[in-house]
Amino acid sequence: MALKTLIIDAQKCIGCRSCENYCALKHEHVCNPAKGRIHVVKWEQDAIFVPVNCMRCEEPACELACPKHATYRNYQTGALEVDRDRCIGCLSCVFECPFGATFVDPQDGRVLKCNLCDGDPTCVKVCPTNAITYEDISQEAYLKLVKNADRIPVLVRKAIGEE
Amino acid sequence: MYGWVGNILKVDLSSGEVTTEPTEPLVDDYIGGRGLGVRLIYDHYTPGTDAFDPGNPLIFNMGPLTGTALSGSGRVDVTALSPMSKLRAKSNFGAYWGPEVKYAGFDHIIITGQAATPSYLWIKDGDVEIRDAAELWGKDTYETQQLIKQELGDPEVKVVCIGPAGERLVRFACIITETGDAAGRTGMGAVMGSKNLKAIAVRASGGVAVAKPEEFLELSIQINNEIQKHPAYEELSQWGVSRGVHMMYQMGFFPVGYFEDVCWDEILEKYGAADYIDKNQLKNMGCFNCPNRCMNFISVPEIGKGVTSCEPFSGFTGAVWNLDMDVFWEATLLVNKLGMDCTETSASIGLLMELYHNKIITEKDTDGIAMERGSKEAILETIRKIAGREGYGDILAEGQKVFAEQIGADAVEKVDLVKGVAPHAYEFRAFKGTGLMQAVGHRGDPLPLRGSLLEVDWHHANDWFQQVAEEQFGDAEAAIPTSYKGKARSAVISEHIERVADNLGVCKWLYGLFIYQDADMATQVFNLVTGKDWDLNHLLKVSERVRNLERMFDVRQGLRRKDDSLPKKFFDEPLKSGPYKGEVLDREKFEQMKDEYYDIRGWDKETGIPTKEKLVELNLADVAEEVLGSA
Repeated sequence: MALKTLIIDAQKCIGCRSCENYCALKHEHVCNPAKGRIHVVKWEQDAIFVPVNCMRCEEPACELACPKHATYRNYQTGALEVDRDRCIGCLSCVFECPFGATFVDPQDGRVLKCNLCDGDPTCVKVCPTNAITYEDISQEAYLKLVKNADRIPVLVRKAIGEE
Repeated sequence: MYGWVGNILKVDLSSGEVTTEPTEPLVDDYIGGRGLGVRLIYDHYTPGTDAFDPGNPLIFNMGPLTGTALSGSGRVDVTALSPMSKLRAKSNFGAYWGPEVKYAGFDHIIITGQAATPSYLWIKDGDVEIRDAAELWGKDTYETQQLIKQELGDPEVKVVCIGPAGERLVRFACIITETGDAAGRTGMGAVMGSKNLKAIAVRASGGVAVAKPEEFLELSIQINNEIQKHPAYEELSQWGVSRGVHMMYQMGFFPVGYFEDVCWDEILEKYGAADYIDKNQLKNMGCFNCPNRCMNFISVPEIGKGVTSCEPFSGFTGAVWNLDMDVFWEATLLVNKLGMDCTETSASIGLLMELYHNKIITEKDTDGIAMERGSKEAILETIRKIAGREGYGDILAEGQKVFAEQIGADAVEKVDLVKGVAPHAYEFRAFKGTGLMQAVGHRGDPLPLRGSLLEVDWHHANDWFQQVAEEQFGDAEAAIPTSYKGKARSAVISEHIERVADNLGVCKWLYGLFIYQDADMATQVFNLVTGKDWDLNHLLKVSERVRNLERMFDVRQGLRRKDDSLPKKFFDEPLKSGPYKGEVLDREKFEQMKDEYYDIRGWDKETGIPTKEKLVELNLADVAEEVLGSA
């Protein structure tokens, strides 16, 4: 089976935050976007919205930083997960993540990491604009990733009025 | 509790006192949102209190479903005594603020008193602080939100605020959040201004507990997907209402000018909203957790950026004889940034144009600006002058009637208001049910309602929608615009459906108008979230209670049957053109529809007041005793 991953196209995001809230409902059984494993950074006066989620790095800073080896890769899905029994809550993974995509439960301080809903991501089901898709890691998907990444600087330049 | 977060926040701006009360004792009778808010305003408002008196409570109402992972769960209902009508005010807005308040632990916020100096409220989780707003006073709604986020050091803070119009007590000032979501009607921004309250900022990390999370998740994903497959979604999520408005003009459902006529050949040929959207729209956007993106985010370099939805597409085009879409966009941005109700503003400009056209006023009455139909200067300057309370704008800020009274009797004759407010800009002469719903409604603008939209839908497939009307309202003729038959029951049932969505804190466009056209789906979701086991009739019974209590609040303010009416032109001046040429409301048949409506409601036909029996049946005996004892 080909490995799949979440691909985010910020250009398509409308900032509705369905992904955050449905994620929390699925994993925490409560409607609380702050407990989501995905977050949307919003500049609503410019209509710029950037969903941020684990990038499942090849050399994950979170995994390398963890002193207790609590962060590990699930080779079924490719997701980086946290073993709750080993985690001591030091938040090293949170601070090391270069994308700010490792989150903390604001109420109990637990680390929140996207586990791709074990291969059936809830956020993808509810995203109304296909800004989040779950696709094979193929050459095609890789090119799409690069293309999307390429758009971000343009958006930022627009936002600060340089374009 | 599940769904509800359990607390009603009370802030007295005069004393600075902050207290809470439990929500629970009121939820069985009123649910939450609009319904529970009606009980709160009834209990907290003392008759005789002026709208701008510190004693007038300004109440924000979230429902049990507000903030849940559900399409359309971003809604908030606002109420107070209206500075326009002296009746109960009501306005509803979406976006992201309501859910954040729920996450902070509050179902409702009651604000009383008046801050000594300009202030804003900062709610961080359960903590509430009244902060200085001296630096914010005078800023527009966009700047205010940015400055508050900067001051609090958190870009994710959600803010509702007023603009300069609210500060200056323009009677139809509104409350704005994000770039154009508004509690637009009935002057809520003016009440907020009278309290010296510039904004309410919220940031929270809590959540809404759900009784049956797994079943709710499954149904909610199903709803999300059903919405995305619906034809109404396809249209709204690409075009917003920009194409629908043109259809409404063709159909003769939207009036042109100040309810002067329905057909203006030029607008049918040249209405440019769809092209404008095509050229200038960055995105379609919606509210919290909603796939249905009914708002257009427009960006025009020389004018500005922001969202807009339905009202400005007709208010700043046909209603003011304007075909220049840049003027439409500039006017829309202006009212959103200055914080004024688009509907009342465009109607006020429409009135000036009507008076000028009929030579009742000249440019001398309007600071040298000729109120020519469609004039760009007339439209934009009037908006600026109202918000700035300059010259004629200062008088217009007091309302259309006050302005007309200064001109004279023939100007007063021209004013089209219902219960002190500009009526919804629909054409009532041909659409009899819509006319009835507008006249008997709880505020001067109670629309849209399901029964009214059915009169529109009917044009697409007569037989089909007559069958729908038969099933939903018990009379096929309820769908036929020009028929007076079946309209009273259609009005009653529609009012109850609408209140289900409003009481739950969800969008009535989704759960009652366009996607789910009754209250069944809302009921299912309500039970999964709250853990209640109520059937549809139970929720509709609450709607009936809410409708009666709304009425009793207004009866206590002096409202009677004669106030359930429409401007006389709808009875006296038949339509001169269009598909419904010659149509006019027949006074006698109109009054008969009202009789029928009061009958079904269990209200006294002479006075329009709910009977004691009806109120007791609805568990409102205390209200009956208080109001009917003195009526």
